[in-house]
Amino acid sequence: MSEWRRLNARMLLVHPIETLVRLLPAVLVVLIARSGSDNDARWELIALPVIVAWGVLRWVTTRYRIIDGQIELQRGLLNKQTTTARLDKVRTVDLTARLHHRILGLAKVEISTGGGQRDRLVLDSLLLDEGRRLRAELLHRADPEVTSMPAPTGTPIDLDELASGVETAPASDEEVLLRLDPSWIRYAPLTTTGLATAAAGLGFLTQGFSRLGDTSELIVERARWVRDLDWWVDAVLVLVLICSLAVSAYVLTFWGFRLTRNRLGSLHTRRGLLTTRETSIDPARIRGIQIDEPLGLRLAGARRLKVVTTGLLKEQGGSDWLCPPAPAAAVTALSREITPDDAAVSGELRAHGPAARRRRVTRAVVPVLVVLALLVVARTVWGWSAALLGIAPALLVTSVALGIDRYRSLGHVVTPRHLVTRHGSLDRQRVVLDRDGIIGWKVEQSFFQRRAAIATLVATTAAGRQHYDVVDVPIEEAYAVLAEVSPELAGQFR
Amino acid sequence: MREPAHRVSTRAIGMWTVEALTVVLVLLGGQVIWWFVDDRPSRSAHWIVGAVWLVLSIAYVVVMPRWRFRVHRWEATEHAIYTQSGWLRQERRIAPLSRVQTIDLERGPVSQLFTLASVTVTTASAAGPLTIHGLDLPVARELVEALTTSAVRERGDAT
Repeated sequence: MSEWRRLNARMLLVHPIETLVRLLPAVLVVLIARSGSDNDARWELIALPVIVAWGVLRWVTTRYRIIDGQIELQRGLLNKQTTTARLDKVRTVDLTARLHHRILGLAKVEISTGGGQRDRLVLDSLLLDEGRRLRAELLHRADPEVTSMPAPTGTPIDLDELASGVETAPASDEEVLLRLDPSWIRYAPLTTTGLATAAAGLGFLTQGFSRLGDTSELIVERARWVRDLDWWVDAVLVLVLICSLAVSAYVLTFWGFRLTRNRLGSLHTRRGLLTTRETSIDPARIRGIQIDEPLGLRLAGARRLKVVTTGLLKEQGGSDWLCPPAPAAAVTALSREITPDDAAVSGELRAHGPAARRRRVTRAVVPVLVVLALLVVARTVWGWSAALLGIAPALLVTSVALGIDRYRSLGHVVTPRHLVTRHGSLDRQRVVLDRDGIIGWKVEQSFFQRRAAIATLVATTAAGRQHYDVVDVPIEEAYAVLAEVSPELAGQFR
Repeated sequence: MREPAHRVSTRAIGMWTVEALTVVLVLLGGQVIWWFVDDRPSRSAHWIVGAVWLVLSIAYVVVMPRWRFRVHRWEATEHAIYTQSGWLRQERRIAPLSRVQTIDLERGPVSQLFTLASVTVTTASAAGPLTIHGLDLPVARELVEALTTSAVRERGDAT
């Protein structure tokens, strides 16, 4: 185990192709620029061997090994770079396989030991099986001498038995907690992520069309055809387009989603249609769960689930998902499985009182009032049509409803093992945070919060978003929560 | 919960005043440039903005440092650190020393002028550094010493 190992030799194929793809725009520009001139120097003939040599060099100079409870990664020829990470600091291991990786049976291994880009080792790439074995080595070592932590499952683990488990890694060991039901795809257009993807896709399309717009007769004709349609047909067309984009994004990301747990308690997710991604999360790093309940999903009786853990990078969006949008019953059952604390997962929350309600409604209504006032000014000064003011009642009712829903969403509760907080309406989320994972507190009060005798209680943690807030809670309640969760801390300053 | 026990140094008022003056003078600089760049003969807009600047600046320079001084407090025990800061927006922060990662003593140009220092205590959470501004330099040194000893004794996983 301690000798140096290399990346898989098949990467000799992948590196040059990746470099070529990255350089493709430049190559195209060169080709187009030259098509008119008679200069026939064949640049690409020189460039190609250079690119291939670069790939070979990358392969030859990259090696890794596991020695003395550390993993070492060495890169570079002239500028030699060695990255080391203590095995007991490894928090998550990600296996990503893009389409070309999958054709060759490879996977990129990303080992993360902290929250930042620097705390990361990337092995691009290993054979899929080799990657999984490495992951098992990294995450399943449970020697208490090394980790100085209790075994995740509570009982001490026989190392001999463990070693044999690592070698064979039998699938029967794994308990499947969740499998994607294809019918859940119907929830795709209801989430903001789905809508954002759709919007990005639409923007991309329209930009492409507007460039072609002047030249292509066909598109001009189509545009005229679209313009001649009734407005509701347009609306339906846009809806259909948005839905299909959101659905395809969902399918690309979550196809074949599977969440499993092995007998040591590690969680594994596997997902993706073209690019597959496997994430493994060390149970000792999990600090809680986050149940997302955005308005769209709530109306459809659906939820989604994320894990709150240390060591997941923000830019690796979505590797903290434990469940894609799915029926509430399935998500609740899964949450109970991961956090066996019914009161925290689905119990009633304590409301935050009249001051919080007043603030929610004010914040929702005031922007609308400002817009309406501007409309009135615009009507008197520039003579805008009064028709715009016709929407005022609808706007006001919606904003009041939004404010009230935001207040209803606010809530918190302290259970023997967790702090639960919930807020938001369009993006409502219920966070169940391990009390042990809280590493500090903030009590924030703005000028107006002080006048209303309320505060925002912030629990800081090393996991997930780094802080989770209990918003606009009465000040004495904030200190009561603090004292209940961290009695030894509050006791010193009583 | 009661307030933290100790106030910061009274010289902190001077430090905050100098900092406030800097901000206010930068704004004045912007106005002077505007005065020379503007070609219109009417100067009334300049006088109005200038008057608003004068009133707000005086209020800021006079009120903010004193208000801050009344709010800013700190306390460190063997097991925890507790701070209170802000003026319009106030906050209290509390962290157990077992979760402390680094302890920094910082002296900016203005705080050197007043022989003051600030002490920053970071935890494993990106959201939770505690900073105490405007400490007397010897007090700050002593605090760093005490915190370091206690933090070592309280060793934990920090996450």
